[in-house]
Formats: sequence, structure tokens, C-alpha cells
Amino acid sequence: MAERTISLKVARYRPEHRPDQYFDEFDIPYREDMVILDALNHIKDELDGSLSYRWSCRMGVCGSCGMMVNYKPRLTCSTFLREFYPKPIVVEPLENFPVVRDLVVDMTSFMQKLQSVKPWIIRHVDPPMEAGEYLQTPAEVEQYKGFSMCINCMLCYAACPVVGRDPDFLGPAVIALAHRYNMDSRDQGEAERQRAIAVDWGIWDCTFIGECSVVCPKDVDPAAAIQREKVAKTTNTMLSMLLPFGGHE
Amino acid sequence: MKEDGGPRYPVLVRTPSRTWWLRAGPYRRFAAREITSMFAALFSALLIAFLFALSLGPHAYGRFLSFLGSTGMLAASSLILAAVLYHMATWFRLTTHIVVIRLGGRTVPRNAILAALVVAWLAVSAAVAYFLIWF
Amino acid sequence: MDEQSESPVLGEVLDWSEGGQVASRARRAPVRGRQSRAEALAWALFSAGGFVSAVLLPINVAVIGVAFAAGWLPDRALAYSRVLHLARNPIVKLYLLVVIALPLYHWAHRFRFAIHHQFGIHAKRLAAAACYGTALAGTGLAVWAVLRI
Repeated sequence: MAERTISLKVARYRPEHRPDQYFDEFDIPYREDMVILDALNHIKDELDGSLSYRWSCRMGVCGSCGMMVNYKPRLTCSTFLREFYPKPIVVEPLENFPVVRDLVVDMTSFMQKLQSVKPWIIRHVDPPMEAGEYLQTPAEVEQYKGFSMCINCMLCYAACPVVGRDPDFLGPAVIALAHRYNMDSRDQGEAERQRAIAVDWGIWDCTFIGECSVVCPKDVDPAAAIQREKVAKTTNTMLSMLLPFGGHE
Repeated sequence: MKEDGGPRYPVLVRTPSRTWWLRAGPYRRFAAREITSMFAALFSALLIAFLFALSLGPHAYGRFLSFLGSTGMLAASSLILAAVLYHMATWFRLTTHIVVIRLGGRTVPRNAILAALVVAWLAVSAAVAYFLIWF
Repeated sequence: MDEQSESPVLGEVLDWSEGGQVASRARRAPVRGRQSRAEALAWALFSAGGFVSAVLLPINVAVIGVAFAAGWLPDRALAYSRVLHLARNPIVKLYLLVVIALPLYHWAHRFRFAIHHQFGIHAKRLAAAACYGTALAGTGLAVWAVLRI
């Protein structure tokens, strides 16, 4: 019986050989249970060992394997070949990021943006150790739990045209993370984080296109987080303008 | 590593296309949604003209009404109506993503919020129609 | 490895320090307090305009625009004396201002970002001034019209 195959067109960028991006085509033996990552591993093991790409857990929790699959940002470990078979599949590095090599993108800007919103519990007053652990009701956890599911896969950045237009834009994942901590009942740092995100390259640059939430593999809904931060900031501003002691900025 | 922590290796920077909003379904729908705001602004301009015509007396007002009643304006108004209805649909849907209402320890589902918005819209529209036409 | 002078890519390494730019932005002294207030106000107007456009505009367009031109309204509905009488009521005047002005700010906010994000024109301050300026002008005209009646 002839083996079924599927064709992968993979973007290559190897500046030591060529200054531009080009495509290599590979024929992969096809099985129903294969994902794109399996195909890439097959290429690296059997066909072209020079192919470079990121992956780790192969089960959709580490966020390493984000790439453009047929022009949509996907996790390659969670995208099955059978979704496209028998048509050819185009695999490219994640959009809106500079390419370091082949399918590997430079994440430096993302890492720095993450730090800029202080993604940790900020306390102005620490309770004494004798008071014991912080207690949270299930309702309090529900307020931020969804936004804590982010695996930093950056698919949302690839999907967001504003990131493409404004590379300084903090972006969906970063603002969602700030919102996660603002919504945590243990946190007291909302004012500091608002200073970091209520800026031109933060929440105000977002126009609620909503594609970030559509492509998120963990249903974090970063779009909702950003709009809620806009509401929070606007409410604070209106209150502080109307009431002498109201709100905080 | 440079002082600012930037890369010391060559990178390929790809600039996105200027017509990104034409390239895929979701982006085209976004662009359509944004354009509806232009039609709303046009209607505001129309209402301003209406009020000025009213303030200039019955003759000017009569001329404006003939203009407003013309076939061309019927077509334009229909376009504006379609645009404004599309805005309404998208605006309500987007609002359900933002609004969080907790009742009895549970979060109100998005469909319920959408239904409430539609009911409110129907009630307001009925009231406005009454005042515009029959009051 | 390509020669430094020939490879276009190495030049882009120097451009790609916006990670550093982000970090230095965070360290800059906050003039942002004032900026953010204006943005919050703009977004509040945009939001209010969006709700008015969604909830109030459809019926107004349907009645004044479509139904009238299609001949579905009773004759006295838009008669001069009736409309004049209604428009002299202060509550009606307020209603008219809301229905006319708020959608203008909604458009202004969306168009200002469209100029930058969709048309690719990077004159941010000019775009904002032009858009909100137009909305303000429209509001002024509306106020003037409403006061003349």
C-alpha cells in the first residue's frame, strides 16, 4: 500500500547563507494522529537537520511552539495534519516578531514588556506571619483565574494588527497579565500597574479587534481584560475629577 | 549583550502590509464595523441641517423636507440604517465581553446580558417612535 | 558570514532595540498623568457615543430617514408647526444634542485610530486634533442650531 504523504512548505531564514526569507518544501509521511510538530520533527530527524524551531512540552501548556500555520497563529503541537490533509501546509514563524532563524522569533521585546507591568503580588502592608495565609473565596479566585491561564505563547501578538503597526504596543498577554494581578484580592498594586498600562502604547492603543481572544489556546480572553482596564481607568479618572477625594490615579 | 539587552545576532524584520485589514475575514469585519461610525456621523450632520432648516422658517423647512423625502435620500437613509444596525449588533456583542455581573454568587452568562440589551433597545425604540410620530 | 557593509540584516539589529526603548520609556518621568486623563476622557466619550449610536440611532434613522422618505409616516408627523413645538421643549433639545453630538465623538475616536492603524499615517497629534476638532465643531453647530429654534 502506498504511503500517504502531505506537503509542508516551511519558511527558512539562514542569514549566514542568504539575507532573505525563502521556502523549502518537504513531503511528510502522513498519519491521522500527527500534528505539525511531529512533521517538523520528522523533517529535522530525517530530511533536513538544519531546520530550527522551538518546542517543548508537546501538549499545549508550555507556549513554546507558536507558529503561523496557513497564515493563522497556532500551537504546532496542538494542530493536527488531518485538519488540512491532503492540501499542502504553509508553516512560517510567528507574525509581528523579528525572525532569528527559520521558525524561531526574537522574544526580547515581549519579555521586557512583561516585566514592565510588575506581574507579581504587590503589597503596601504585609500582614504578620502569625496571621497565616491569605484566604480567598472561590468567587474571588474566579475574578482573575481565567486571566492567569496565559502560557505566554504569543499567538495573540501574532494575531493583533496593532502589534504589527506599533511594535511598542504592550499587547494582549501583557495587559491581561496586569489585569490578572489587578483583579487578585491579595494584590494592592493596581495604581502602580495602571501607571504602566494606561499609556499610549498600553490600553489606549487597543481598538478591540478581538482576534487575540479568538486565537488564544487557553481561552484567556485578553481582549476582555484590556477593555475592563479601560473602563477601570476611565472610571477612576472621572471619579477623581468629579469628587475631591474620590478615585486614585 | 548590548546595554539595552537587545540581540547581537541578525534578525529579519517583516513589516506588516498597509492593507492588513483587507487580508482576512475577521479583519475585514473589523474594518466594516469601524466604517459604520462614519455613517452615524453622517446622520448627525443630517440632523444638524434639519435643525438649521427648522430654525430658518417654514419655507426653508419645506425645502429640506422635499430633499429628505427624495428617492436619493431614501437610498442613503437605508444605507445609514443598515450601517447603524450593524454597529448595534457588534456593539452589543462586544459589551457582553466587558460587562461582569454577579448574581447570587454566579456570573451572569453573556447571552443573558445580550438579551437584556436587546430588550432595552426595543423599549427605548418604541418610546422614541411614539414621541417622534404620534405624540 | 556576509560582509558587514553588504548585509542589510545587520543594520536592522541596531533598529531592533525597542526592547530597550520600552524599558527606557518605563523609566521616563510621568508626564503621562495628564496624557492619560485626556485619553480616559476620549474613551468615555467614545463609549457614550457608541451606546447612543447603538440604542438610539436605529429608530431615529428608521423614522426620520427611511419611514419618512418611504411615505409611511402620517402627514402631521414632521409638519413644521408640530416639529417646531417639539423642538422648543428643553428636554427635546437635550435629547437632540445627545443624539447628534455623542455619535460624532464615537466616530472621531474610531477614525483617529483608523488614520494611524489602517491608513498608516503616523501624525498622531494632528490626527487626534483633526478628529476631535471636527466633533467639537459639530457639537458647536448643533448647540447653535438648537438655541436658534
